[in-house]
Amino acid sequence: MVRTLTRGFGELCLTAGVVLLLYIAYLFWGTAWAASNAQHSLASQLNQEWAHGNGSSNPFDPSPDSLHLVTGQPFAFIRIPAFGKNWRFTVIQGTALAQLNVSPGHVPGTQLPGQVGNFVVAGHRVTAGNPFWSEPSLRDGDLIYIQTQANNYVYRVNGKHTVLPTDLSVLDPVPGHPHEQATKRMITLITCNPAWTGTHRVIVTGVLVSAQPRAQTVSKNAEAAG
Amino acid sequence: MYGWIWQRLPGGMGSKSVTLALIAIAVLILLWFVVFPWATLHLPIDQAGLGG
Repeated sequence: MVRTLTRGFGELCLTAGVVLLLYIAYLFWGTAWAASNAQHSLASQLNQEWAHGNGSSNPFDPSPDSLHLVTGQPFAFIRIPAFGKNWRFTVIQGTALAQLNVSPGHVPGTQLPGQVGNFVVAGHRVTAGNPFWSEPSLRDGDLIYIQTQANNYVYRVNGKHTVLPTDLSVLDPVPGHPHEQATKRMITLITCNPAWTGTHRVIVTGVLVSAQPRAQTVSKNAEAAG
Repeated sequence: MYGWIWQRLPGGMGSKSVTLALIAIAVLILLWFVVFPWATLHLPIDQAGLGG
């Protein structure tokens, strides 16, 4: 009797262990598979919208209308060569779980690409294709490319720190200084830290080094980015 | 637990194996496509947003 119980308990523990491992595999690859399908359709949606022309919008003060900002809809691409040559995601409007599960999102209420202030993008570290898995390894000088229908932007990383999830000051136009008047054009990337948890957020900031109409930037990008 | 299941499966060695494999596959599919997505929605895993 005791032996049967012990064996049953052992089998349960083993089974639970295997299921747990399987769940971790699911978080890493299962959600990535679903998200890559979502990314695929978001990217082709953007390409389709942009095929009608480059639109026009002031690179340094794009209007929300010119970007077609709609919650859950993509309006830009983000590329970070430090994450890999083929690393590219869409940026969609909004950062609720429903949005972050398919793409990095723009935090509503923060500035738009190119604007004076702080363009904030949040993304999952794990799950959803693990978009910001490598964010903590970004270093000063790494480049972040943002592409909207009308313009190409290049930001250069200039800082990194860790905060509590409740620290909303990282969203301010002057990150960390709620009452200051913004003069710089910043970008902020947010993801969770340590990976797999929700206890902290790692914050990477960057400053705009180049903004050009999309049509002209193809060859000039490398030059301007230095 | 597994012994108990094994004893209750009908047929000989071969058909028992096939049935068990089918059950295992069904359980895996259920976990991967139903249980895990549901659990992910309800567990505090990787919350990238702020203000929570």
